[in-house]
Amino acid sequence: MSQTSNRSDTEKGDGYFLRAEGISKIYSDGTVALRDATVELRPGEIVGLLGENGAGKTTLTKILSGLLPPTRGRVVSPRGQVKFASPREALDFGIGMVHQHFALVGTFTAVENVALSHERPFVPLTLSATRERLEGLMAESGLKVPLDVPVEKLAVGEQQRVEILKVLSQNVNLLILDEPTSVLTPLEVDELFKLLRRLRDEGKAIVLITHKLKEVGSITDRVIVLRKGAVVGDVQMAEVTKEELAQLMVGKEIGTRAAQAVELSTDAIPVPISRHKEEAKRGSGVLHVENLSVAGDTKSKAVDGLTFDVFGGEIFGIAGVEGNGQTELVEALTGLRPAMEGTATIHEKNILGLDPRQIYKLGVAHIPEDRWVLGLVLPFTLAENAILGVHRWEEFRGPLSILRWGKINAHVRALMERFEIQATGPSAPAKSLSGGNQQKLIVGRELAKDPAIVIASQPTRGLDVGAAQYIRDTLVEMRDRGRAILLVSADLDEVLALSDRVAIMYEGKFMAVARPEELDRQKVGMLMGGVGVKG
Amino acid sequence: MTTTDVRPRGRWVRGVHRTLTGLHPALESVLAAVVGLLVGAVLMYIWGYDPWRAYWALLRGAFGGDYEIASSIARGVPLIFTALTFSICLRAGMFNIGAEGQMYIGAAAAVCVAYFQLPAGLHLFVGILFAAVAGAVWSLGPALLKLTRGVSEVISTIMFNWISRFLVFYLVAFVLVDPRQAQRTVRIPVSARFPILVQGTDLSYAVFMAVAFALLVYVVLWHTAVGYEVRAAGLTPTAARYGGISIKRTMLLSFALGGVAAGLAGAATTMGLPPTFAIISGLPELMNLGFDGMAVAMVGRNHPIGILFAALFFGGLNAGGRVMQFYGSNPVPLEMVRVVMGAIVLAMAIPELIRLFPALAEAGRGLARTIARRKPATEEGA
Amino acid sequence: MRKWLGLALVVMLAATPVFAGKVAVVLDVGGRGDLSFNDMGFKGTDQAADDFGLEMVEVQSATAADYLPNLRNLARTREYDLIICVGFLLGDALDQAAAEFPNQKFAIIDSVVDAPNVMSIVFRENEMSALVGALGAMAAAHYGYPNVGVVLGIEIPVLYHFEAGYRFGIDWGNKKYAAVTGTAKPTGLLYTYTGSFSDIALGKAATEAMLAQGAVGVYNVAGPLGIGDLEAITEFHRNKGTKSGPPYYFGVDANQDWLGKAMHALASGMKRVDTGCYTAVKAVVEGTFVGGITSLGLAEGGVGISKFIDLLEFIDFGISAGALRLEDRDETLANWAVNRGTIPAWIWRAVDELEAGILDGTILVPTADTGAEMQAIRARYTLGAP
Repeated sequence: MSQTSNRSDTEKGDGYFLRAEGISKIYSDGTVALRDATVELRPGEIVGLLGENGAGKTTLTKILSGLLPPTRGRVVSPRGQVKFASPREALDFGIGMVHQHFALVGTFTAVENVALSHERPFVPLTLSATRERLEGLMAESGLKVPLDVPVEKLAVGEQQRVEILKVLSQNVNLLILDEPTSVLTPLEVDELFKLLRRLRDEGKAIVLITHKLKEVGSITDRVIVLRKGAVVGDVQMAEVTKEELAQLMVGKEIGTRAAQAVELSTDAIPVPISRHKEEAKRGSGVLHVENLSVAGDTKSKAVDGLTFDVFGGEIFGIAGVEGNGQTELVEALTGLRPAMEGTATIHEKNILGLDPRQIYKLGVAHIPEDRWVLGLVLPFTLAENAILGVHRWEEFRGPLSILRWGKINAHVRALMERFEIQATGPSAPAKSLSGGNQQKLIVGRELAKDPAIVIASQPTRGLDVGAAQYIRDTLVEMRDRGRAILLVSADLDEVLALSDRVAIMYEGKFMAVARPEELDRQKVGMLMGGVGVKG
Repeated sequence: MTTTDVRPRGRWVRGVHRTLTGLHPALESVLAAVVGLLVGAVLMYIWGYDPWRAYWALLRGAFGGDYEIASSIARGVPLIFTALTFSICLRAGMFNIGAEGQMYIGAAAAVCVAYFQLPAGLHLFVGILFAAVAGAVWSLGPALLKLTRGVSEVISTIMFNWISRFLVFYLVAFVLVDPRQAQRTVRIPVSARFPILVQGTDLSYAVFMAVAFALLVYVVLWHTAVGYEVRAAGLTPTAARYGGISIKRTMLLSFALGGVAAGLAGAATTMGLPPTFAIISGLPELMNLGFDGMAVAMVGRNHPIGILFAALFFGGLNAGGRVMQFYGSNPVPLEMVRVVMGAIVLAMAIPELIRLFPALAEAGRGLARTIARRKPATEEGA
Repeated sequence: MRKWLGLALVVMLAATPVFAGKVAVVLDVGGRGDLSFNDMGFKGTDQAADDFGLEMVEVQSATAADYLPNLRNLARTREYDLIICVGFLLGDALDQAAAEFPNQKFAIIDSVVDAPNVMSIVFRENEMSALVGALGAMAAAHYGYPNVGVVLGIEIPVLYHFEAGYRFGIDWGNKKYAAVTGTAKPTGLLYTYTGSFSDIALGKAATEAMLAQGAVGVYNVAGPLGIGDLEAITEFHRNKGTKSGPPYYFGVDANQDWLGKAMHALASGMKRVDTGCYTAVKAVVEGTFVGGITSLGLAEGGVGISKFIDLLEFIDFGISAGALRLEDRDETLANWAVNRGTIPAWIWRAVDELEAGILDGTILVPTADTGAEMQAIRARYTLGAP
């Protein structure tokens, strides 16, 4: 067999299926997603992969399943080093991944979807063989799905089972599931776990990506904790408590509300966050939300009966793992998504049911979470992007609604100067800018509206330290000038350091609303993981 | 230990693709034209025609003198309008295949001016107005279907093309028919015709309407708030919605403006094209102008100014193609002329097609990968 | 030696064409390959060019917008002794081109352009249609079918000629049958203007409807739609299990008897576009070209009902165009003979009698050029219509 060496120490004979050794991943924009991570996966074991957003879970699984090549390090099997050029090759090797967003063709039946996944160029599909295979698999695994119904008619849990069957039908030995429970009902979760245990007992290696501490406790044998791209814990579940896990996940110290820049994070990347010096001078209420529920794309209630206020001169932070309703909340408040029930007002004027333009007129600025999808029209120039949403302002329009590009360009130059946007000029395409400068452009554009409230969603995501710092300072400055800020961020350090009040969101509800100094990281970690804290 | 890198060929294809798509648009067009001409030359050579003489005939027939240039421009005029129809809607993020049918309706509406008398200039103006309004109204069908029922505009515009085709067949045969010349409609009276610009050619004052409309489209799209909204919605609908832009409104607007353009194409071919100044049964003078317009739009990079040049290029190809048929001792028959033109047009349109349909490029790469495919990743030690 | 030289000179002079020029044929959007109108226009001009030693150029039109530019492009070269427009669709374009180039000789088939430099060649389609009508009416009576049909294209004056002559012929055939057999079995007419010269499916549908109403045969007066007509008739025979006999297909323009290996095509009302083109070229070569209308009828050989001799010519035409296989030639001829044999000899003689009457002027076939004239003829020959 293989003359693979490097198996100096720990592993017991053929005890592992796949091992990632010293993996680092640096994206082309300089983001360090993984640093020297070593992970071993063994047959007959369910491993939980735990970590905050951006901890590197997804990157690691993408490398394992062949979607991404590592920058440094290698993946080895007992038979030698492996390199996958595509997910197809990883699948051929026995590694299958079930993504959070299913890759199913809605109008196809389960049989057709599975047959499609076996499709090779120029080889005809064989539905009857696929059906036989599926029936065998269902009998074996106890996993039942209707085979002849278009999958779009199935419940989400059933769709997920189709997805799992699809992967199992490829004879995988390693099954990676990305947040599999986030879309399931509790009953469906139970069934999924039963299935996973059975698969484990058959000798498959299973990796479960999650942020829910409860689940980790109930299903996994071993937990690998990632933080800021590094493996900070690799422990048997039996030997660890939830509290310890939460601490591992979010780090040890909690930021003190010190005046100067403090270094909050771990060893690797320093994230200096300077804090406003003055205490908040809370003004009058700006945004009032009462009993607001919003439907998600897959969930019936992504936001579940929220009630809160945001006042002038304060930063109201919403912390939590992404996918717990933050996106839907922000979209509902900015006119991009209809609300199911409840009320939301700005200066006592209703905003639900209005379109974005009407909401902006009430003094709302919106820094969206995805600058490529929402915030910018990438092929547009800087100037064109700088007037998105304000393009109908009187000062930009002449007679016959002709745009006054001269004035617009002057406005853009002012923005570039004030917000330190590095670009060749107003006519540079937005896509040529770096992420930081793109975000500064959005922030500049939104703040130039002189809004009553800024709704900022993940405003510093993916930015370098300097740009992130600049944007945080700008938000604080707005707050000091008496504006209301609703800050949604998955970056716990950021929320805790900037906010005057923090809400921790889990499954569409606030687990707690408190002043940051009343919280410690462990408590926050537990709340984010859905574990209530008493007292 | 061995490892295999499995995609040398894929990388090569990507490299070529990047090189090609990174070219300056003008250079890209020239390169594409050269490739097209070469392919056409090879085809003619294979079938025993002299490519050199044929292209000489093409060039002379297209741009050999005042008469030829005027003829080329005249042939391009309706294409400017139908290309604009496609481009406006594409800028708004939609594939409007409906220029053909909207043009038929516009032409039929223009013919209606034959039934009343007006002073010369006014009569012409009313005809233009009829055609523009009719084209716009007809385009609202697919637009409203899309907005209210989510019907794909690709499907609905193709359907509407058929409906309008047979509707106009009917109108020509039974309603607008000239009782003395039943193969065509009544003729548009002189007072409602575009005057001929260059005597002895087909070039009428309709060309000014075409250029003016193209410039208008340019100004609207790039220099007004409405056009800004249309382009934003077309490029990134999510960001446009975030920016307070009503996608429904931009869709409706672009469809209506595209319909006006297509209607004007109908006006230009009925009121501005000698000798008939009427619609002939079977619509042989209108047929395919709408579809050709899509090719013009591609070659013109979906920009109004680019379209003006592309339409001139197309007009030249068609005008020169007529001459290829009888020039020299072994002239090229029309069938071959059209094959050669097809090769040239396809080559010119490919860069834009790839931009519009990244899937096309991906399919090409996928094919290359399949061909280059070797055994999957791991290998048992060497 | 000198004698030889002299002889060589004479041979050279004789071989040298007396008239070395160029002619052009401009076709409408239908283009070549229709085995009918356009191909015949090409064939006739080609034949004339061969006979008179001319160079010939063929120009097709991609769209109707090309008609006028094509004529101008050719006329501008001043190289062509004659430019022939095949088809009435080119009429408007020629009207203008003839005025712009008064020194250029033009000819047009099937349309009248009033200009001194245009020879307008029209056909008396009523004459051959009358022969087809008479044949159809007597065949129907003979086989006990109530009707005979005609599928027409767009309702234009040229087609009125066909309809008028056909009506007259049916009426003549009805009277002839009564006179010969002593029993009156008046055959009725089923006619449809499909509004199309291109939609073959329309021809098939119209023919099916007529067959269902007991038509003994269907006369195609819509160019390519005849393919659909013949298809319907062939299917009808297949369902009935017959190989020849009624119902019949009557072809048009070209000799279409060989279509479908002559199984069901009984006869064709021929309109010799080739003769028209040939006549025009000949007139130019011989210096007898004059503007104005040249009407070609039975007497001039411009129209006629198909005969065996034309069949041979057009079978070769079909073979050279690839529409008929050489090895099917004999089978086609045999089929044709069998099918023609299903009509009694006296009927064929009666048709010949009508032809002779038209030729010597004793029988005058009415025609119609306007809707009003057509209405009058329809009223005169109601043919079963209430």
